[in-house]
Amino acid sequence: MASRDEAPKLSSSVKLVLLGEAAVGKSSLVLRFVNDDFQENKEPTIGAAFLTQKCALPSRTIKFEIWDTAGQERFASLAPMYYRNAQTALVVYDITKPTSLTKAKHWVSELQRQASPGIVIALVGNKLDLAATTASDGGDADGGDGGDGGDAGSRAVLTAEAKAYADEEGLLFYETSAKTGENVQSVFEAIANAIPENTLKPRGGAGGFAGSGRGGGAGGAGGSGGEGRVGTAVNLEDGVGAKDGCAC
Amino acid sequence: MFSSLLQKATAFITDVPPASPTSPTSSRPTKTTLFRNHFRLPDSQAPLQEITCELTLPSGDHYAGKLYLSESFLCLSPNPPSSSSTASATAGIGFTLPLCAIRRVERLHSRSYMFALAITTWHGVATSAPPPGGKEERVTLQFVGMRSSCEAFCDRLKRGLRSQMGEVKSLRILVDSCYSEYLLGNSGGYDGVKRSTDGVGADDGRKKDKDPPDAGLGMIFKYPGDTRKLRDRSKMRLWAEYLRGIPLRNLQALSTNGRNVTLVRQPTFHKLIRVGLPNRLRGEIWELSSGSMYLRLFNPTMYRDILHEYDGRHSHSIEEIEKDLNRSLPEYRGFQDDEGISRLRRVLGAYSWRNEEVGYCQAMNIVTAALLIYMSEEQAFFLLSALCDRLVPGYYSKTMYGTLLDQRVFESLVEKTMPILWEHLVKSDVQLSVVSLPWFLSLYINSMPLVFAFRVLDVFFLEGPKVLFQVGLAILRINGEELLDATDDGAFISVLKSYFSRLDESAHPRSENDKLRAVTRFQELMVVAFKEFAGITQNTVIEQRNKHKDAVLSSIESFAKRTQLRNLGPDSKRLTPEELGCTYDRYFGVLYERQGRLQMIADEMEKLATKKRAAAGSGVGGNGGERGRVGLGPTTGVTGMDYDCFREFLTGIAKWAVADSVLSAPAEPAQPEQPGFFGSYGGTAAASQWKNLLNPWGAGNPEPADHEFMKRMFRRWDTDMKNQLSLGNVVSGLASVVGGKRDIMGNINYWFELYDDDGDGKVDREGILRITEALLFVTRRGDIGRSESESDEAEWGDERILSAVSGFTRMCFEYADPDRPEEEGDVKEAGKDEDEDDLLELIASSSDEDPLNTPETVSPGERSPTTPVPKDNAKANLALDPSNPLHITLPTFRMVILADEVLERFFERGFAESFRLIPGSEPQATLANPRLMARMPTTPLTPGNAKGLRGVLDGIVDEGMRVAAEVRRRMEEMDDNREEEGEEGEAADAKSIREGDRDLLKGAEADIQEGQGQADELHVEKGGGNKGEGRSRSVSYGDQASSGVVEFES
Repeated sequence: MASRDEAPKLSSSVKLVLLGEAAVGKSSLVLRFVNDDFQENKEPTIGAAFLTQKCALPSRTIKFEIWDTAGQERFASLAPMYYRNAQTALVVYDITKPTSLTKAKHWVSELQRQASPGIVIALVGNKLDLAATTASDGGDADGGDGGDGGDAGSRAVLTAEAKAYADEEGLLFYETSAKTGENVQSVFEAIANAIPENTLKPRGGAGGFAGSGRGGGAGGAGGSGGEGRVGTAVNLEDGVGAKDGCAC
Repeated sequence: MFSSLLQKATAFITDVPPASPTSPTSSRPTKTTLFRNHFRLPDSQAPLQEITCELTLPSGDHYAGKLYLSESFLCLSPNPPSSSSTASATAGIGFTLPLCAIRRVERLHSRSYMFALAITTWHGVATSAPPPGGKEERVTLQFVGMRSSCEAFCDRLKRGLRSQMGEVKSLRILVDSCYSEYLLGNSGGYDGVKRSTDGVGADDGRKKDKDPPDAGLGMIFKYPGDTRKLRDRSKMRLWAEYLRGIPLRNLQALSTNGRNVTLVRQPTFHKLIRVGLPNRLRGEIWELSSGSMYLRLFNPTMYRDILHEYDGRHSHSIEEIEKDLNRSLPEYRGFQDDEGISRLRRVLGAYSWRNEEVGYCQAMNIVTAALLIYMSEEQAFFLLSALCDRLVPGYYSKTMYGTLLDQRVFESLVEKTMPILWEHLVKSDVQLSVVSLPWFLSLYINSMPLVFAFRVLDVFFLEGPKVLFQVGLAILRINGEELLDATDDGAFISVLKSYFSRLDESAHPRSENDKLRAVTRFQELMVVAFKEFAGITQNTVIEQRNKHKDAVLSSIESFAKRTQLRNLGPDSKRLTPEELGCTYDRYFGVLYERQGRLQMIADEMEKLATKKRAAAGSGVGGNGGERGRVGLGPTTGVTGMDYDCFREFLTGIAKWAVADSVLSAPAEPAQPEQPGFFGSYGGTAAASQWKNLLNPWGAGNPEPADHEFMKRMFRRWDTDMKNQLSLGNVVSGLASVVGGKRDIMGNINYWFELYDDDGDGKVDREGILRITEALLFVTRRGDIGRSESESDEAEWGDERILSAVSGFTRMCFEYADPDRPEEEGDVKEAGKDEDEDDLLELIASSSDEDPLNTPETVSPGERSPTTPVPKDNAKANLALDPSNPLHITLPTFRMVILADEVLERFFERGFAESFRLIPGSEPQATLANPRLMARMPTTPLTPGNAKGLRGVLDGIVDEGMRVAAEVRRRMEEMDDNREEEGEEGEAADAKSIREGDRDLLKGAEADIQEGQGQADELHVEKGGGNKGEGRSRSVSYGDQASSGVVEFES
């Protein structure tokens, strides 16, 4: 089934949902993660799109079942349908739009109250490439570079501000660029690592699902807890064959 | 004589009664609605006449059916418009003829007992010479019915034709923009046939050189799909044949089925649509079968007018549209081009202005882009209107309730038709709607390859929303086996995705039979959808929608409530979650109920004013007909509470906001206190009496007071200066008056700021008087703040408040700073002349007391009983002289408040406690009717509530009397009372006496009540005998004491 020849690892599927204001780049983040691709004019997501991608950790393989939701405000009432049973969520905002962070905060509190208990939430500031319009290098994701630029297309949300909020709420925090790919893998890896072992279930038998690696029982106590965010590789190469993107 | 009676009787029977006022949430469509939907007519149309008749076409075909006449249309359908008919009339035989498209109506006298009309339409005009075959180019309608009803119908028709003459100009414009006109007018081979241009007075040659009318972006950028594979040419030929009629031998045949507006639907029409429309006719037929053509006909300039009017204007919707313009069908060349993009921008923008309730919803961009491939901007605009308003109502609304509702309907249909698959879905925890929602929302355009999606649209516009369900069910049925193997969302989705990508492949690739092998998967899908699921009718859909509607709306509402309350911001934290919840319910309850009520009243007024509606004019009404629930989304213009709405809102949370006039109204439980506020609307409204319908505050609701204080509060809360309060404004506003940590200083500041109009830290004379008025207004029902230590209510009698307030006024003037001190001398005299009103006297009279002693002297008993009016008190005169401006500052204001125990208590607790956010937590507070209020047992904790004397004060404000004058009157009365009672003269006793008197006066009444039981006896006894016993006695009787109060009040 799986094209991997390594020693059989535990494999679990994890439901991940993306939430955030319209046009902050949710779909683009997923497209980057799943296809390592970027499209300038991406059709807006209607309802939600479903994609999968695997992420290999030393101890196990996580298969992300990604629900990429529509961002427009009025679609918000559909969201519970998608974050139902989600083990993890990516709440995305646009670092050039302060209102999108406000919206992201709303989503965080919605998830904290309504989603499955113990959901792992990552706050992601996207469009980091646009932050580079100020003198500071877009590379460093920490240290608010003070680019509180008023003009469109430059940073308007300070890293420190968002970080402080994320810390307060106990969220993972990253700034990414779906356009350049910066930090995109790291986000998903960090999430994969942050999911508590005991919430992982073995993959159900999904018939007719190409390239899905089946794992054993979930009981394995394969202490990945300590590994933290050390550079775990995402098996992008393998994943390409296995992905099931669907834009319907 | 008999015949005229008969005529009347039949006229009565045949005359369709006008649509009765329907409850906004009534689920069953009215006859008028059914009629409109059946013939896809604009909202202005209602059936006026109907008659059974037989239609004979020029081709010789006969059809029996029912003929309907509305203001602007003559329609024929073989089956009556009912919710149980399988599809709209446009899917069946018949016609929908705008009256302005009728050129001539002749009465045929062929046989004496027959009643028949020959109708010549716009396109059916015989040209210079009648065709050699002698065939009349007209349709014949032979009426079946009593002569009188035939006459009545004709009479009405005659009037209708006359009134619609003016629309001919619009008709001409419309007809010229139709591709069919170009097609038939321009096609070679029938040169002998003159086009029906005599009315236009143009020569025939002109048309042929004319450019074809705009049939969408496809004319520039090519239509999607391979035209050969689509067999576009043969389809076009078939259509030309249908429209023109099969050419007769003499080649002189004229149009037999009409075209565009005059088209007659025969069975072939339906078949031609099922096989897929030819590219260039597609837009026109969509328009025709959806009825949007009639909207366009009657609103010939609307689209351009909107574009012109809103040119350059910005809105949230416009912003959202801009975001999506580059990502709408980006694979189609026309939308990689500026031409396509700007057309899309204009159509979406115009619609968002036309219907701001909907504005713009993602998916509309995709649907509109698809429309624009086949039709002009204007056509797309009206088709989009018909789509959003009628075909898929609520799909794109702010709450998307239509989408969610149809998903529930779809799920229940799957459960019904494919129970095994449904069970599997439930077992594997796959949520169907995650797959099917985009199908419905984008009308399959986003899910299937475009060419196939358009085929679905062809049928959808003709037959209505049931098509979406039929196709969806067919997709699941065809893929049933594979889906049964899929055990999670992902697998489920991938099965369907691969199915959609192979729709053009053979459905039976391994079949021996060539014909069978040639059947594509898409053709198979259509067959399954319309044959196997033929049982899914419009009626099924309507029934299912009604069944699930409440549940869906409730879940939307609870989500909206949760989200909104959570996102209200820091101010909301000062209210408890329960208070917030109740505020939310009350806010939207009032907002939406009021909206529905006003709409109904407006409708009734309009009905009364003009019995006849203006002609077809306002077709694009956008009025979904359903209002009054949060789940249905906001209504145009209702973005917040205006002042009147705010008043109504306040009645539910503060009893001082209830107008005093309700004292005389019959006791009736107030509606807002009922639980399930949102749900209650439909039922109560339907059951309401006629006159209640016209009550602007709603039947049974308390009438709100209107006081300057409320206006100020409204302005204060309206921080966005929009003259409307959002939920956030209201919550912040409430938080500032009742919110947790308010202290007395905060409240004093709050009141001061309320009256410090220019924010300069000064409140002038007028302001002081207004504060006085407001204090009396707010406390007139006895909310002055409870005292924990003093349970003796006599301490908090009304007199206490009165004297406290008058003391307040007096001290304010006493300590006021003059604005222009240098003029002091001049005005000393001025005070004495003409403007010496009651107020002046009062203040003057009070001011001879030592102001510093006021806290001790507020109790009337201790106060010097007879206060002469020393006219020569210069200080007071100065204070009251309008020509001598003065003001108080916040510190003065504070001092004055704190100097009085009663006022202090009011500002410390009383004011905040006068708001009761949670209904039922304090019955007296929420029962709006003071009569009822007074009947509630008076608990020892709230001794001062609803006391008798208060009633005398009621109405001061509404009457607009000078408040101080009233205060003075009170004082005098008290003096009188004291005189009666002698030295001991406690205020409470004064009240008791009055109560006693009143009860004595009502002795007869009391006697009658005696038979009713022990309680009444007690009541009488008390009334007669409590003269010397004071208030404590009456309190101990609880209910009875209150009854006494009621009588006193009235």
